[in-house]
Amino acid sequence: MENKRKLQTFFDRILRIKEIGSLSGLIVVMIIFTLLSDKFMTWDNFIGIFTTTSELGIIAVGVAMLMIAGEFDLSVGSVFAVAPMLGALLSNSGVPIFIAFLIGLVFAGSIGFLNGIIVMKAKITSFIATLGTMMLFRGLLLAVSGGFPIDFLGANTDFLNALGGKLFLGIRASGIWFIAATILFSVILNNTKFGNHAFAVGGNAGTAKAVGVNVFKVKMINFVICSVMAGLAGFTMFGRFHSIDPTAGMQLELEAIAAAVIGGTLLTGGYGSIVGAFMGAFLIGVLRSGLILAGAPSYWYQGFIGVFLVLSVILNTKIRKVVAG
Amino acid sequence: MIITDEQKTKLIKNNLVYMENIRVKFGRVVALDGVDFTVGYNEVVGLLGDNGAGKTTLIKALNGYNQISSGNIYFDGRHADFSSPKDARSAGIETAYQDLALVNIMSIARNFFMGRELRKGFAFFKFLDKRQMNKIASRSLKEVGLKNIRAMHETVNFLSGGERQAIAIGRANYFGAKLLILDEPTAALSVTETEWVLQLVKEAKEGGLSVILISHNAYEVYDVSDRFVVLQHGKTYANIKKEDTNPEELIEVIAGRLEK
Repeated sequence: MENKRKLQTFFDRILRIKEIGSLSGLIVVMIIFTLLSDKFMTWDNFIGIFTTTSELGIIAVGVAMLMIAGEFDLSVGSVFAVAPMLGALLSNSGVPIFIAFLIGLVFAGSIGFLNGIIVMKAKITSFIATLGTMMLFRGLLLAVSGGFPIDFLGANTDFLNALGGKLFLGIRASGIWFIAATILFSVILNNTKFGNHAFAVGGNAGTAKAVGVNVFKVKMINFVICSVMAGLAGFTMFGRFHSIDPTAGMQLELEAIAAAVIGGTLLTGGYGSIVGAFMGAFLIGVLRSGLILAGAPSYWYQGFIGVFLVLSVILNTKIRKVVAG
Repeated sequence: MIITDEQKTKLIKNNLVYMENIRVKFGRVVALDGVDFTVGYNEVVGLLGDNGAGKTTLIKALNGYNQISSGNIYFDGRHADFSSPKDARSAGIETAYQDLALVNIMSIARNFFMGRELRKGFAFFKFLDKRQMNKIASRSLKEVGLKNIRAMHETVNFLSGGERQAIAIGRANYFGAKLLILDEPTAALSVTETEWVLQLVKEAKEGGLSVILISHNAYEVYDVSDRFVVLQHGKTYANIKKEDTNPEELIEVIAGRLEK
């Protein structure tokens, strides 16, 4: 009897870990791919996965923050290209790259601000508002670049390397940014007043308002965070290639949402985890790499992510029903 | 009724809440049309009326959730047009709405402290003091008879209607509210839970609080209330002391078949 109760509390504790769904999924998938290919569990492959994961993951961290606060951002894929494109154009015309980088991030932030203002003031759903800005800024990118990639023309590439270059053991700077962003926003979300308010406005905006939370401010800040992170992610890719393609980041918004959702974040807000988004992004990277190494044709990749997305949401929903009702 | 300035000053001084000639408009709809409303110190007022009479609108005007179009609000002797629920809460008004009381998917402790989180640390490095919040929430909720909860990290989703009301009341007790507003607290509650919540209202009054009890069920709130205010179509329809009426009569008044 006593043992049974202890076991129950133990299971309860385990289930309460918000990332348990994505963590178990990650372990299962990694075991399968390790069995399928002996090249999967190697340092080089791991680092390769982590590099592509980082760029997606930095976006997913911001997207998860915004989704927890109850809103959506489909424009992150466009912002991912807009911010470094602006940075590249400015630095090529003589602005120091560091300043160009900051201006690029500020511009990304103002797109987030614009998204927020449209959603909050015109009172339309963020799905539509950000679908609009996604198309608007993608159009702008194509118009400005004429459809061609823009290369970094400066001589000094130190700063770009700090954004996305190789550091040691093949690890890229973007990986460090990704880990840092995950830790930073995880702490903010779980351990600060602002984080508590983000959960509150996503969980029930009316209640949040009734207890004195400034719903407008909290949502606006999260819109800006989401966009700035997308811009930062774009810069890490710019740092990797020293060039930016106007079509970069297309469909990345959907992968970022998928990463957040696989990581346990609720589509309707009020519940979620940044570490979960980290693992969701990593899982997507593992699926991509694992399928290639297992010899599956590359078209299968999206199909698998789709299947995996649905399965993981079913699992996450079941767990959430048990622990959070 | 016309009152002199001197009388008005006295009314403001002697009442915790003094609202005069309150108008609230939503677009073209006039939700409240010149309502006068008072709550005395240590008084339980039953705010009655049929659906759509303006009961919730009136308390949302009082606690800063909605802005009034015209009129004056005094709270605890001071002019108080609260621009947000935050101001009203810090002045000592705690509200438990019918549907907006708690965030269901968040934990009990986080709900208890929402908007007034305890933090430790300094400058930019202030972090939630979760341990302390759990401790205080647990203690305060035990005081209002909420005993069946396993842990403060349980979400509100698992709680019954009465337990939700108890959280709001426990919150009011802990944060030293002067006025507790309960919006249809007994709607959809079981018989025993209704008794429990009404008992808590009595205890709140014994503890020195004033209470506004919104309801459309005269029978349920009759016992605990000292006075009844009946709204109809956004206007004050009746203002009756408990000793001058009975539940049967109140129902006639709420329905508009009897004028008092």
